[in-house]
Amino acid sequence: MQPASLPQDDLADLSIEELAQIQVRSASKRDEPLSAAAAALYVITGEEIESNGITSLPEALRLAPNLSVQQVDASQYSISARGFNGIQAGNKVLAMIDGRSIYTPLGSTVFWNQWWPLLEDIQQIEVISGPGGTLYGPNAVNGVINVTTKDAQETLGTLVRGTAGPLEGTAAIRHGFTLGDSGAVRVYANWHDAEGLPTGIGDPVRDAYRGWQAGFRSDFVTDSDHFTLQADIFRNNAETLPGDGARGHNMLARWSRTLSPTSSFQLQTYYDWFKRDVLLVDDSVSTMDAEGQFNATVGPHVIVAGAGVRTTRDRFVNEQNFFQLNPSSRRLWVYNGFVQDHFRMTDELALTLGVKIERSTFSGWQVLPNARLSWQPNDRNLLWAAVSRAVRTPSRIDRQLEASAFLAAAPDFDSEKLIAVEAGYRGQPSDTTSLSINGFVNFYDDLRTTELFFEDGHPFFQLRNGYKGKTYGIDGWGSAQMTPWWRLQLGFSTLWKDIDEKGEHVDLVPRNSLGNDPHWKIIARSDFEVAPRVQLSINGRAVGDIEQDPEVGSYVEAGGQLSYQLDEDVELFLAGRNLLHRTHAESNDPDAGQLARRSIYAGARARF
Amino acid sequence: MRRGLSLVLALIAAAAAFVPSSALAQASETAVKAAFLPRFARYVTWPAAAVPKNDDPFVLCVIGDDPFGGALDQAARSQSIDGKRIIVRRMGTAAGVDGCQVAFVGGTPSQPVGQLLAAIGRKPVLTVTDARGGGQRGLIHFSIVGGRVRFFIDQAGAERRGLTISSRLLALAVGVRQ
Repeated sequence: MQPASLPQDDLADLSIEELAQIQVRSASKRDEPLSAAAAALYVITGEEIESNGITSLPEALRLAPNLSVQQVDASQYSISARGFNGIQAGNKVLAMIDGRSIYTPLGSTVFWNQWWPLLEDIQQIEVISGPGGTLYGPNAVNGVINVTTKDAQETLGTLVRGTAGPLEGTAAIRHGFTLGDSGAVRVYANWHDAEGLPTGIGDPVRDAYRGWQAGFRSDFVTDSDHFTLQADIFRNNAETLPGDGARGHNMLARWSRTLSPTSSFQLQTYYDWFKRDVLLVDDSVSTMDAEGQFNATVGPHVIVAGAGVRTTRDRFVNEQNFFQLNPSSRRLWVYNGFVQDHFRMTDELALTLGVKIERSTFSGWQVLPNARLSWQPNDRNLLWAAVSRAVRTPSRIDRQLEASAFLAAAPDFDSEKLIAVEAGYRGQPSDTTSLSINGFVNFYDDLRTTELFFEDGHPFFQLRNGYKGKTYGIDGWGSAQMTPWWRLQLGFSTLWKDIDEKGEHVDLVPRNSLGNDPHWKIIARSDFEVAPRVQLSINGRAVGDIEQDPEVGSYVEAGGQLSYQLDEDVELFLAGRNLLHRTHAESNDPDAGQLARRSIYAGARARF
Repeated sequence: MRRGLSLVLALIAAAAAFVPSSALAQASETAVKAAFLPRFARYVTWPAAAVPKNDDPFVLCVIGDDPFGGALDQAARSQSIDGKRIIVRRMGTAAGVDGCQVAFVGGTPSQPVGQLLAAIGRKPVLTVTDARGGGQRGLIHFSIVGGRVRFFIDQAGAERRGLTISSRLLALAVGVRQ
């Protein structure tokens, strides 16, 4: 084996024209300086998604050691950080794509199967386990998943990709071009098609899923301004019933301006609409959001202040059973204002104090403070600790779902509350290694319970805030460039839960509130530059068992990609996931959980 | 299915056998950008007052975060301009920018790229930025196009600062602002 890089010495002899013709490997995380963020932050780069042969956004999130990813059926996933995973329980992680929230206020969840950004255009996915702090939007309680796509200036030229296998296929095209002397635009479309999964713990369902998404992103820059306009449109088809699936569109504009060497502001607004039809249940949500942020450096203080308003209008029509939202359509509002001071007390010690004030239609005013202390004695080591308060605001389903003579609406359902205490270490022990370890204790109150009560002798169920308790655990990860051609990464997370019903509260469906979480997860990844044109990436994971009934056993699985650079423009690859077993269970959802299964596909990607 | 797989593998193996392996060595993105930086100076003319005097070297500065490390020092050592050496200086703020002919501007958490550029203002410095660091552009702005390191040039901005950029460099730009 030999390293696939041109030695630095060889570059010295090239002309400037020759330099401009060299095909480059993207810079990876190890080349970048240590992040100073006082939070448990893991970054998935676009390059890692590509080199692991990943074809969907939720599968890309498996690369993060601090997330729990459970495949529910061919397209649905439930994804959480620090516990509470499950279709019903997974409501505590905020997810965003380019600053647009994809967390729906209707049911406090993320429909991961709806979103199909072109994976090659993803710059990075920031994954924070723990509360997002001051700067992220509502509901960043247990974590934040922040997908950012590349600036249009970084995606000039044409890209074509296709993958095909017996169980799934994808196709994608993107073209980027300059517009005027300060702008760039890219236009893209992609298509995906997956066969259904074998029946698992849940009922047999026809879960095959196919669809497309298309859109554009444009960026314009001048000396002091950066303007972004982007939009997407999508449609997905499911086979559950004729016409089932999801469709939607969104548009976002963002303007940032540098006012002086020490100050800048940013304004952003977006519109988002989607509609889902699943088994005679139709729901739709339209969202308008506007927010502004001002940054200023004053001596050792970096101050960020901002405000935002979001309004959603939803509609929920259920012809399948007697669960209804009352009213069936409603407009909700969320307002927030925030201010944060990052104070460099000494060269080594920094204190960040932030507070966000938030008001939603269902929750009244909430004060969400956080304090973060970081100590960075040198370029290679950072210690941090944080205390923060976060809340999950009630969703429409929490408050207004009812079923005649069975489930009563819960007009008193209140926010779920968290006080999180965290500490961590991040370092680069040597030029070729990195390490991050984070520990947390989360104190929760008013978590959701499903309770039974009697009115005029009739039994009713109702959602209430009956749980209190704590969770604790450690997550960590490290990477090492073992040789110039071999990079190894390891990561893990652990979780313990100690949550009990308060007073006379009795929860009848714990799985829907407390989640279905393994106690541990380990991931291992290895990237080899096998030969100058051949790259092999292998990703493995071991996940502990889910003890709640119905039980799901622990499992070990692996995936990866073997790729070959055919010529300057074209790459061929063979990739797969869940390679070790024909099928395995990840979700214990008694209604929806199907079996994840082995999938192998071949693909080609061309850039020119 | 199995037949399909073995066919793909056979195709890959056959393709591998036919392409000479030296034709397509890759370099790291960071190393290529580092190699570009000292070369830019060769294709730019500064106002007389901003050119290093006598035996003074050309000064290539990195302001803020340094993504290059030793690769930049090595690249600078390998180049010279009109017989003058090129040295690399690293600085945390734009305060010392007066002594720099070329400045790569990397942001820091407390000083984003836009703020550093604003602090440099109209000084006769060839500012270089990277699309990876955000949208704010210096006079030269690195971007990856078709898997290669390319750049935008702000010729109008260069003229305002008294810098003249040669047509050979302009010809390599993916976009020129005039």
